[in-house]
Amino acid sequence: MNLRINLTLICFICSIIGLVLIYLAAINLQPIKVELSEISFDLIGRSVTSEGKIVYKKVHSAGHLFLTLEARRSKIQVPIFAGLMNKLREKGITEENFSVGDKLVIAGLVSEYRGQLQIIPRKVEDIRLNHVS
Amino acid sequence: MFLETLIFCLAGIGIGIFAGVVPGMHINTLLPSILFLGIVFKFQPYSLAVLIVSTAITEIFVNFISSIFIGAPEADTALSVLPGHRLLLEGRGYEAIKLAVIGGIGALIATLFLLSFFAQAFKILYKISRPWIHWLIIAVIIFMIVSEKGKRKMISASLIILLSGFLGIITLNSSLVNQQNVLFPVLTGLFGLPTLIVSISQRASIPKQARDESLKISNKEIIKSIILGSIAGIIVGFLPAIGISEAATMVQYLGGRGEARSFLVTLSGINVGNEVFSLISLFLVGNPRSGASVAIQRVLSELTFWDVFYLIGVICFSAGIAGILTLFLGKRIPKYLEKVNYRVLCSCVIIFILTMIFALTGIFGLLIAFTSASIGLLCNYLGIRRSHCMGVLLVPTILFFANLNPLILSTLRI
Repeated sequence: MNLRINLTLICFICSIIGLVLIYLAAINLQPIKVELSEISFDLIGRSVTSEGKIVYKKVHSAGHLFLTLEARRSKIQVPIFAGLMNKLREKGITEENFSVGDKLVIAGLVSEYRGQLQIIPRKVEDIRLNHVS
Repeated sequence: MFLETLIFCLAGIGIGIFAGVVPGMHINTLLPSILFLGIVFKFQPYSLAVLIVSTAITEIFVNFISSIFIGAPEADTALSVLPGHRLLLEGRGYEAIKLAVIGGIGALIATLFLLSFFAQAFKILYKISRPWIHWLIIAVIIFMIVSEKGKRKMISASLIILLSGFLGIITLNSSLVNQQNVLFPVLTGLFGLPTLIVSISQRASIPKQARDESLKISNKEIIKSIILGSIAGIIVGFLPAIGISEAATMVQYLGGRGEARSFLVTLSGINVGNEVFSLISLFLVGNPRSGASVAIQRVLSELTFWDVFYLIGVICFSAGIAGILTLFLGKRIPKYLEKVNYRVLCSCVIIFILTMIFALTGIFGLLIAFTSASIGLLCNYLGIRRSHCMGVLLVPTILFFANLNPLILSTLRI
């Protein structure tokens, strides 16, 4: 009985220590900085930061915003899903603030949708917009 | 055309066996290489599609061998480790494999039958279901907790769901490990490693495997499990976010929970049903629902009714051959296992799995596996079901569909 309690306690402590270490590593690990042209299928599943000019913008009826970024003739899609758009609206950023020609610094996970590469931002801090005056 | 189809089908079956047997190898890991080969050798699009489909189907069947015999599952078969291993330790390893094959073949027939009659209904359900998914998963979690007997066990179950849920939020949203491989250390840690560690600590040995090939489950129960698995597989196919493991968790609680044999039939049915529906959903709703169907969409771009018909033929042929091969391997492997020292074997498998985790996911993968294994073992010592560890996928799914992901990630600064 005592052995069982001890093992339970050991496992619980190991779980907590492990979670704390993973969490600390996660918050300290910055996304890889890459040029838009360097993003390839090899980076799928990785977190990256990149920047480019908005060359296409589409507002979806479900509340999503689909952007295409371009830099040095390389393009990548940036879907901003409804959940994140709602959070951006709370900060005073709406679809109207994203205009074709604006510079966007984006962080997110590289993934693939229908053969196209995309960067998916997941939180407000992942999006930095620089307006072109 | 026929000969070419046959050759690519057999090649796919070969690749599927490799992906199914080797721990950590998954069809999604191999797909980029398959597509690359297709470009290099200029395969015809249909030949490439045949290769992908036959690999995917074979892997589903053969993967039960590595999850049941050595406790190294993929996401889709993670929950089979427990009932499968239980049967192996009862001397019924071959029966476990046989049940998985019966479930898969049965679900293939049942899914095709269901889809031919209800395809349009699924199309409508696909559109209206999305806003309600997180409520459905919350209901399942509540059901999982209250189904434990006693207050202490309910609290323990909640703790495990919280711990695994937090693990899921961090690992599935950070760049610690490549997101394509992250489920390998997580699920092997939660389900595979604890099984092996407990086997070593309890000095378990593989008993002499039963010579009789009979199934200790009624035909009625098999049919019920196949139908349940097929329906759940189709649901996984059209509901966004609900994965095979989530559906298996629900089914485990809704129908005949605790009965290892019927659960294995159902789980195999869900896997096959999902793969078939994922392919057909390309034609029905134009939306791929699995790694293989994404690849097929890329190869064939627009799927016609006759393309689907052709690929269903490939699925049926591959499933038949894969089923026979799985049964063959399932009969041979336990006989070798009973001759070796099981503790030594478990230790070797743990070392091999950890090496694979390190090779695929690095030092952070090992840290994730260590943490996951601690949570998995905690279930054992608390005396509750290890399926509560599925919180690792269920909790992040709830957050995503409740649109809470941005808030949680900002708060946690991940």
